[in-house]
Amino acid sequence: MGHAQKATEFNKDEAKVNWHDKALWYVREKRDKSAHNVQGWEYLRQLGSGIKANVLSNLDKYLIQFETNAKNNGIQVHWASNAEEHNTIINSILEKHNAKKVVKSKSMLTEECHLNPFLESKGIEVVDTDLGERIVQLAEEPPSHIVLPAIHKTKEDVDVLFQEHLNTKPSGGNPEYLVGEARKHLRDKFLNADVAITGVNFAVADTGGVVVCTNEGNADMGVHLAKAHIACMGIEKIIPQEKHLGVFLRLLARSATGQPITTYSSHFNKAEEGKEMHIVIVDNGRTEQLSREDFRASLHCIRCGACMNTCPIYRRSGGHSYDYTIPGPIGSILSPGKDLKKHSSLPFASTLCGSCSNVCPVKINIHEQLYKWRQIIVQEEKQPIVKKSILKTAGVVLSKPKLYKMAGKSARFALKHAPRFMIYNKLNAWGKARDLPEVKHESFDEWYKKRRKNE
Amino acid sequence: MSREAILKAVKKNKPEVLPLPEIDESAFQEDIDVVKTFKDNLALVGGQVFEITTDAIDAKIKEQYPNKSTIVATTTKSNLGNVEIDKNTDPHTLEHIDLAIVEGELGVSENGAIWITANNSLVRALPFITNDLVIILDKRNICLHMLEAYDNIAKRDRDFGVFISGPSKTADIEQCLVVGAHGAMSLTVLLV
Ligand code: SF4
Repeated sequence: MGHAQKATEFNKDEAKVNWHDKALWYVREKRDKSAHNVQGWEYLRQLGSGIKANVLSNLDKYLIQFETNAKNNGIQVHWASNAEEHNTIINSILEKHNAKKVVKSKSMLTEECHLNPFLESKGIEVVDTDLGERIVQLAEEPPSHIVLPAIHKTKEDVDVLFQEHLNTKPSGGNPEYLVGEARKHLRDKFLNADVAITGVNFAVADTGGVVVCTNEGNADMGVHLAKAHIACMGIEKIIPQEKHLGVFLRLLARSATGQPITTYSSHFNKAEEGKEMHIVIVDNGRTEQLSREDFRASLHCIRCGACMNTCPIYRRSGGHSYDYTIPGPIGSILSPGKDLKKHSSLPFASTLCGSCSNVCPVKINIHEQLYKWRQIIVQEEKQPIVKKSILKTAGVVLSKPKLYKMAGKSARFALKHAPRFMIYNKLNAWGKARDLPEVKHESFDEWYKKRRKNE
Repeated sequence: MSREAILKAVKKNKPEVLPLPEIDESAFQEDIDVVKTFKDNLALVGGQVFEITTDAIDAKIKEQYPNKSTIVATTTKSNLGNVEIDKNTDPHTLEHIDLAIVEGELGVSENGAIWITANNSLVRALPFITNDLVIILDKRNICLHMLEAYDNIAKRDRDFGVFISGPSKTADIEQCLVVGAHGAMSLTVLLV
């Protein structure tokens, strides 16, 4: 099923979609306010982008430097070419510790590697401890957003879920009550866990340490109580020096939720006495993405989620419609690199309005990469796929059901002129009602050229 | 093997070397009252803050947290501690700690964050597992922004350290902000 069909599913509950749309736009507005409070914000983004570009151009050396420093601090470093190796390495560490209970804090990488089902098949209990992640885990769903994993769930949904799994009383979806119950439930898991697995926000080459950012404190509760800590990172998480955290921590939370910084920014450089720390460095397609000149900047991503919050298509189609671990605009430029055929509809799930690129804290040219993927897909994929993708994506998402028919009417035009049609005036008129940025009296080409010049 | 394969692939696929940008910190310079901004930002992230003298510390803590029975203080600036811990204390035994009183090393004006190391808390889990947290901070140790903060902590013994900005919180249920997720339910900062 392509993005459009899945988006149609999501759009069945219009009230929920409207809420989803507004909630995320509100987060985007908080991001704006927060960013404007920072003296030199644009320069900060430029630095973020420049540092990441340097990282990619020197990545092998930084990885070796990171490994050496981490090892000097007693950290055990492992390398995994793909998801399978990643999972096997983790399982062997767990076996060594005879671990049966594992707590995990938000890591999109372990999602990407499908670690949970793998460990569960070995009889290990894996509990996601970020509240949003726990909610989707109980619901047996993947996260629908990288920072707000349960944004597609209503509080009533959570209420029912907790009644079933945590034996809570019906509360009509009282957030305080539900969070309090989740706290108790997860405390118990933290106190009884053998090993803690975390993701990594930044891995510092010149110290060999890693930094993990959370608001809930779940990474720390897990790590400091368990006898071993396994931190999993993609190769692109490296930054050269510790002082560069001063750039990235200023950018990350503001871009993500509008907070000036996350509640906890934890710096792990050594295991606590008597404990073990492991780091698993994972490729899983990243070196391949690195080889693609047009798309390698996608590896700058610091997973703030700002491009999702601002995207008119994401807001009205929901994260699950992307059917990829990382949804939204960034997911739409990462996923075709993994499987062009499977994800061929995603680069079309965009109006190319450029809002994603405008908010991205590390200045990834997301919308340009989307456009480039489209060109590749149009060339490489058979017509029916292209046709389906182009025709339906923007139409389904941006129009109400009756307007959707109008989008269908532009079918012939679309086939001829794709992707120019994506901002074809008629559709754009619907877009306008949905708060799309103004691009109306320009053809795509003019607009695209202008944008390029302005950069 | 994977190590070599990954490094080889990176080497082959990476672009030509691009320079590492120099950071011009003057671009972030602001002439502001760092203590006041720190206090404003701490309030913004859900913490409370009092500027007091050193001899008023315990009275203030008692006033703010009158009903605490198990208290750990890892600083000599407070005498309220009634549970002794040291570096070898099993963190699981801290499960029922009501209140932890620790010293912070450095405050950051731009975001209300305070740097705490394993040295300050003795047991790493303490500032997270405690029900409520009090941090005592010398107001002369407040810097402007994170870049300055990293300059300040550059020469340290690196084991574990954390910037804490406010009490633990979540907005994962319909974006409603709820204070008190897995870490401390409240944070009080005493500036001395
Ligand atoms: S692409 Fe940019 S905006 Fe999107 S999640 Fe990554 S860093 Fe954030």
